[in-house]
Amino acid sequence: MKVVPSRSSEWVRPVTSQRPASTIIEIDRVSQVFQTSARKDHLALSDISLTIEEGAFVSILGPSGCGKSTLLYIVGGFVSPTTGAAKMKGQAITGPGPDRGPVFQEFALFPWKTVLGNVMYGPRQQGVRANEAEVQSRALIEMVGLKGYENFYPKELSGGMKQRVALARTLAYHPEVLLMDEPFGALDAHTRTRLQNDLLNIWERDRKTVLFVTHSVDEAVFLSDKVVMMSKSPGRIREVIEIDLPRPRRRNELLLDPRYQKCVVDIERMFDESDKVGSPS
Amino acid sequence: MISAAALTRRAAPVLACAALLAVWQIASLALKSDSFPTALEAIRTIPDILGDQESLINILASLRRMAIGFGIAVLVSIPLGLLMGRSRAVAAFFNPLLMVIYPVPKAALMPIIMLWLGVGDITKTLVIFLGVSLPVIYHSFEGAKAVEEKMLWSGAAMGLSPLQRLARIVLPAALPEILTGCRTGLVLALITMITSEMIARQSGAGNILFNALDMGQYDTVYAMIIIVGAMGICLDAAFERIRARLVRWSEPQFDMPLSFS
Repeated sequence: MKVVPSRSSEWVRPVTSQRPASTIIEIDRVSQVFQTSARKDHLALSDISLTIEEGAFVSILGPSGCGKSTLLYIVGGFVSPTTGAAKMKGQAITGPGPDRGPVFQEFALFPWKTVLGNVMYGPRQQGVRANEAEVQSRALIEMVGLKGYENFYPKELSGGMKQRVALARTLAYHPEVLLMDEPFGALDAHTRTRLQNDLLNIWERDRKTVLFVTHSVDEAVFLSDKVVMMSKSPGRIREVIEIDLPRPRRRNELLLDPRYQKCVVDIERMFDESDKVGSPS
Repeated sequence: MISAAALTRRAAPVLACAALLAVWQIASLALKSDSFPTALEAIRTIPDILGDQESLINILASLRRMAIGFGIAVLVSIPLGLLMGRSRAVAAFFNPLLMVIYPVPKAALMPIIMLWLGVGDITKTLVIFLGVSLPVIYHSFEGAKAVEEKMLWSGAAMGLSPLQRLARIVLPAALPEILTGCRTGLVLALITMITSEMIARQSGAGNILFNALDMGQYDTVYAMIIIVGAMGICLDAAFERIRARLVRWSEPQFDMPLSFS
């Protein structure tokens, strides 16, 4: 594990990486101010700069209220930053687009559509022919482990199954970047673990760029190449940490790996220190 | 095989109607008043009314006005309500207007409308339109407001334009709420239909009713009330069937054999 100062512009990928380090997302001195009441402004994000390489799995880790989801929404184009800019492949992000696919904690499925209807929605919107979209969607539904549930409505599914549908629905329109906003936050521990494993398996196949927001240290270390630690009030990048654990990662091996354990402990210690310095949370 | 519980549930509305008619019959026999016919006398008059060509034309004319008024109201109110629910500017513009119109009984506007447009179909249809519009706008507005932001974001990421999001996400997502408004609107359409014909007597079911009242044909008065009531129940039940089909995907709701708005 290497600790890299957040402001460092000459941040270098480890030599063990075989992927070319080309930047896909660039966040350039982004600040976000929310008006909480008539006179009070709340600085949710303060001067955030971050670059994300193509094919990297990057987690944004921090306590609730540190603005980590807001940062993701800015990259998604759902929220415009008060100052600064986010860029995707050099182009300023001005709104949402199919190159950046969100997966939300709330699932946000279309409840009037079946599982298949939800997954087909994106491809159909992109102009893919109905039968072709259906074949692709059925394959994706099978990949996320929901074969046999194609004609179920979201209300008939459990939370874990809904999130599987949401993932398939987003993967269906082939975004270049997956934006995952605490996707497993609403799930019980067991389901959460299973979905983490499955997400990792799916991701290790095609290595799409993932920006993953979470408040769970274990989750961030288990999944990511890079963990962006944030502190709150105002939301700042505290540290950017390289997770150099080998892939493919298997949960049962990793939990016994001292390197994994050290990563988790180190990150937790850093959060504890910042809690002591800052106001009690 | 039908379970005992299901049987009770199905028999309950029939029993309730029978009980109402029995109370009516007994009360009428006890009071012996000329202006209060028995239930049987009233029911016996129904075939006479429905068999009479002129009455039938009147009733059909009423239903036609009701259908047109209701249809136009729904077509105008749903898009307006949805727009208000998703745009603060649109809501800020229309909300005060609607708040002024809301408490005014629409039939109270009839004298003014009659002065402008006469006593014909247009006036009556307009009153029905006004009566139906408000609940439909209100429920569409509330339904659109409640649509989850993240659902719209998901649509936006797929490339849906704002207008497409309104038509293809907000509309279906708000549909259960919209249809609740339409159901209230349907009952109000019937009420305003009869009221309008009461004020502008020229044709229609309300006209038959009040003519009969003027001429002291109390059997006909009561028979017409039953007919209008039955029309309301049938329309509501038919609408409820359609509604249940359209929003099967939404959360299961409390199930009543006969429901009242």
